[in-house]
Amino acid sequence: VTLRGKLAAAFALFAAVPLAAALVPVSRALSGALDREQEARLDGAAAAIQGELARLGEGAAAAVQDLARAPELEAFARERAEGLLPPAEAAGRAAEWMSARGLDVLALLDPEGRVVSAGHLPGRAGDVDPELWALVREGPAGRPGARVVARAGPDGVAPAAALLAWAPVPGEPLVIAGGFALDGDRAARLAALTGGEVTIRAADGAPLAAAARPGDAGGPAFGGLRRALGGLASGRRALLLGPADAPAARIEVALASEGLARARVTVLLAFLGALAAGTLAAAAVGALLAARVTRPVEALRVAAARVAAGDLEARVETPASGEVGELVRAFNAMTGDLAEGRARLAQAERVAAWREVARRLAHEIKNPLTPIAMSVETLREAQARGRPDFPEIFEEGTRAIGEEVRRLKRIVDEFSRFARLPAPARTEVAPEDLAQAVLALFPAPPPGVEVIRQVAPGLPAVLADRDQVLQVLLNLVQNALDAMPAGGTLRLAVREERGGVAFAVADSGPGIAPDRLERIFEPYFTTKEGGTGLGLAIARRIAEEHGGRLEARSPPGAGAELTLWLPAAGR
Amino acid sequence: VRARLLAAGLALLAGSARAGVRPAWGGELRVGLPAAPHLADPARAVDPADLFLVRAVHAPLLEIDAHGALAPGLLAEVPAPEEGGRVFRLRLRPGLRFSDGAPLGAPEVAASLCRLLARDPPSPHAWVALAILGAEEVVAGRNAIPAGLQVLSATELVVTLALPLPDFPWALASLPASPVSPAGAGAGPFALVAQDPRGARLVANALHPGGRAYADGLLLSAADPRGAARALAAGTLDLVLRPEAAGPAPVATAALLATVAAVNGPRLGPGAEAVRRALSALDRGELARLFARGPAEPLLTLAPAALLPAAPPAPAAAGAPAPPGPARLVLLVPAGAGEARAAAERIQVKLFDRGLRAAVSAEEPPRFAARLAAGDYDVALVPVPVLALRPALAAAEIALATRGPGAARQALAELGVAPPAELPARLDALARALDLVPLLATGERASAGPALQGLRPLPDGGLDPGDLWLLRGGQR
Repeated sequence: VTLRGKLAAAFALFAAVPLAAALVPVSRALSGALDREQEARLDGAAAAIQGELARLGEGAAAAVQDLARAPELEAFARERAEGLLPPAEAAGRAAEWMSARGLDVLALLDPEGRVVSAGHLPGRAGDVDPELWALVREGPAGRPGARVVARAGPDGVAPAAALLAWAPVPGEPLVIAGGFALDGDRAARLAALTGGEVTIRAADGAPLAAAARPGDAGGPAFGGLRRALGGLASGRRALLLGPADAPAARIEVALASEGLARARVTVLLAFLGALAAGTLAAAAVGALLAARVTRPVEALRVAAARVAAGDLEARVETPASGEVGELVRAFNAMTGDLAEGRARLAQAERVAAWREVARRLAHEIKNPLTPIAMSVETLREAQARGRPDFPEIFEEGTRAIGEEVRRLKRIVDEFSRFARLPAPARTEVAPEDLAQAVLALFPAPPPGVEVIRQVAPGLPAVLADRDQVLQVLLNLVQNALDAMPAGGTLRLAVREERGGVAFAVADSGPGIAPDRLERIFEPYFTTKEGGTGLGLAIARRIAEEHGGRLEARSPPGAGAELTLWLPAAGR
Repeated sequence: VRARLLAAGLALLAGSARAGVRPAWGGELRVGLPAAPHLADPARAVDPADLFLVRAVHAPLLEIDAHGALAPGLLAEVPAPEEGGRVFRLRLRPGLRFSDGAPLGAPEVAASLCRLLARDPPSPHAWVALAILGAEEVVAGRNAIPAGLQVLSATELVVTLALPLPDFPWALASLPASPVSPAGAGAGPFALVAQDPRGARLVANALHPGGRAYADGLLLSAADPRGAARALAAGTLDLVLRPEAAGPAPVATAALLATVAAVNGPRLGPGAEAVRRALSALDRGELARLFARGPAEPLLTLAPAALLPAAPPAPAAAGAPAPPGPARLVLLVPAGAGEARAAAERIQVKLFDRGLRAAVSAEEPPRFAARLAAGDYDVALVPVPVLALRPALAAAEIALATRGPGAARQALAELGVAPPAELPARLDALARALDLVPLLATGERASAGPALQGLRPLPDGGLDPGDLWLLRGGQR
C-alpha cells in the first residue's frame, strides 16, 4: 500500500467512525418510537376486532331469537309433532332459514341434543352435535358464545370457529342454535378492518382461517432488507374466543407495520448512505492532500530506482519545500557527484588501458627488435672483418631480420584488427552449417587427434555474422588442437540450450588452471609460445556483439571446454 | 290448513264414491313430476320423470299382474325357458300396431332389442339384451345383430342366450324392452304429441293393445315440492309423483331406485380400504329413515330386499384396523339426484368423524356418466332404477351402470342360475368384487288430487297412466 493510500484510508476512517457511532443511538431511538406506535396500532386493531366480534355475536343472538319465534318454525314444530314432516324433509329446512337470514351456522336440536335439521352440515341429522349441544347446556339462551363447529364447504367438512347463540322454540321440545362462522371471508373482513393479517386458530393452535390485507406483503427486496436489519418483525396480538381458562379459539392479528418499518429502513438507509458518502469524501480529500505531500517523495522513489538501474542522469524536478525539498536537492547533488565520479573513473580506466596497451605493444615490438639489432650488428661485423663466410652470414642474418619484421607486421595487424573489428552483419544461419564449415577446414586432423562431431537434430537457426562466428569457432578449434600436441580427442557439440544454441569445443589436453580461466579472455594474455593473447579476447567480443556469451570451463583432469552460446533467431 | 282440510274431505268423498262410480272416459290428466321429462326412448330413459313418460308412450312385451307374476302383454304368452333356460320362443299377438300406425311384429321387437346393444351412444339398459348369444359382438361394434336373435315369422322370434338365464322373460317385462317403431313411437296407452323444456303433452293411443286409455290426454310437467302441493290443493294438478308427499294419503311406490357407492380403488390407492370400511359401517337403516325424502329401504346388497327370497346378510364388522385413508377425496353425485346427494352429505359427515375429509361434487348427468366411465372419480354415488324384478337382472343393471358391460355379464353369469338360498351371499361377493357399496333404495309417493281415480302402483315402482281416470271425465 502506498503512502498516499494509507493517508487516504486514515482520512476515511477518521470520517467513518463517528458517523457509525452515531448510527446506533439514533437507530435505538427510532426503534423505540416505532415500537410504541406499533403497540398503539395493535391496541386499535384488537379493539376493532372485539367490536366486530361483539356485533356478530349480538347479530347471531338476535337472529336465533327472531327465528325461534318465527311462524315458519312454529309450523315446522307442529308438523313434526303431528308426524307430517318426514325426517328427510325436516333435515333440509334449516338450510333454507340459514340462507334467508344470512347465517353461517344453523341447527335445530331435539331435547337429547340430536340434530333435527342442520343447514351448515345437513349430513349431521340424527347425530348429537357435541359443540352445539355443549353450547346449549353450558351457556344461557340468547347470549353469544364462541365454538368450533364442523361445517360443510366446497372442500368438504372442516372445523370453523363460530360465534353462536341458541334459543328455545316456544312451546316445543326443540332448541335452535346458530350464528356466524369466522371463516376465510370473515377473516378477510377483519383483515381489511385492521389493515393487518388475521389468523383464526383452534384452541390447539391449528389454523382455521387466515387472511391478509391485499397488498400488505411488501416487495421481496424490502422484506429481505427488513429481515437482514432485524428487529423489524411484525407486531402480533392474540384475542381469545370463549372463556379465558378454556378458550374455544383465538384470533391473531398481525400488523405488518409496513409504513413504520419502511420509515425505519429509510432512516437507516439514509444513515448508511451518509456514512458511505462521508467516508468516500474523506478518502478523496485525503488522497488529494496526500498527493501534494507525497508527490516529491514519489519522484524521489522513481529517480532512485533509475539511479539503481544505472541511470546517473536521473534528477528530481518536482518542486518541494521544507525537509522534502532539502531531500530532493541532496538527492540531485548526490547523483550529480556520482555521474562526475563515474566519468573520472572511466577516464582513468582509459588512461590505464592505453598505458597497458603501450606497455604490451612496446614489449611485443621490443622482442623482435633485439634479434634484428643483433643480426644487423653481426652483419656489420662480418663485413668489416671481411669474413669469407659473409655470404652465409648475410643470408642467415637477413632471413632472421625478415622473420622478425613479419612478426612485427603480424603483431601490428592483430592490434589493428582488435581495434577495428567491424560490426557484425547478422543473418539467420543454421547451426549445422557452422559446425560443418568449421570442421571442413580440418579435413585431415593432426596425427593422434580424434574429432567427434555431435550436432543435435532440429536446432533453431541463429542470427549471426557467419564469417565472424566461423572465426570464433576456428579459433576455439585451433586452440584445442594446440592444447593436444601429442594427440587426443576433440569434441564439437552443438545443442539447443536456454533459448539459443551452444557450440561447445572440448579437448582432452591438460586443461586450464582455475586461476587462469577468466584471464584467458583478457587481451594480450596467452599461455602459448608466440601467441598475441588477442584471439580469445576478439572471440569473446564477437560473442558479446552477437548478444551471446563465450565461457570456459575446465574440470580437473578432463581437459578444457569453451562454449559459444548464441541466441536463436527471432528470440 | 283450510285447503288441506278441504282436500282431505274431497279425498274421502272420492274414496266413498270410488266403489260405486264407474270409470269415466275423457279429460286431460295433469301430472307433476320431479323434472320435466325430455326422453321418451325406452333404451335411454333412466330419470324417474323420463321413465314415467316412457311408460305412458310404450308398452312392455310382458306385463306383471297384481300378484307379481308375469302375464302376457304384447307377447301372446309368457315364453317358457327351453334348453335349460338358454332358448326362449317369443310369440307376438297378431295385428299389433304402434301409435303411429306402423305394424308391430317380430322384426320390430328384434330391432328394439338390438337398439339396446348399440355402441354409440351406449344404452344404460343394455343389461336386457346382454345375455343374448352374440350380444358381445354387437356391443363391441363387430356385428349389427346378435347371432342369438332369429326372426321366424311376422309374429314369432327365437332368442338364444349365451348363458342360462331362466329369468330372461323378466327382462322382457321391463320398460327398456318395449318395442319402438322406426319413427320412435310406442304401443303404450298414450302418444306423444308435443314436448318442450317445460313438459310434454300426450293424447290417448287408440291403437293401444290394452285398450284406449280413460283420459283423452296427459300433460306432464315439472313441479317442485311446495309448488306441487299447492297445485294439487288448487286443483291445477291431478297427480304428483315425487319422493315427498304433496297431498294427504299419498301412495308409496316400490323402493326400486337403488343408490350404490362405487369406490375407485386404483385411484384412492392404499387409502381405499379406509373409505370402504367407512362406507360399510354406515347405518343404512338410518340413512334410509333420515335422509331419503321418499319411501326408502336400506340396500344391503346389489338387489333391493323386495326381490330377494331371504334377508341378505348384515354387513360384516371390520377386522384389523384399516390403513390410513386418503388426505382428501371427492364424493361424486349426479346433479338432481336428491337421494344420492343426501347420502353423500351423510357419508361426508361420517368420513369427517373418522378423520377423512371429503367434498361433495355434483355433475350434470351426461358429465357424471362420462367421468364414471373414464374412472375420473374417487367415490361415485350412482342412482340406478331397478326395472327388472329379479335379483340377477337387478344386479346386472347396477353392475352395468357402475362398472360397464363386462361387469353386467359377470353378474348374469354368477347369479343367473344361482339357487335362491345362495343369492344373498353371491350378491354380496359380487358387490365386493366390483368394489361397490350398496346404500339405499328409494321410491316415490303418488299424491292424487280429489278427481283422480285408478291409482294403482305397479310392482316395478311405476304407474300405468292408462289406468288413471278422472271423475266425471275431467269436467270441472
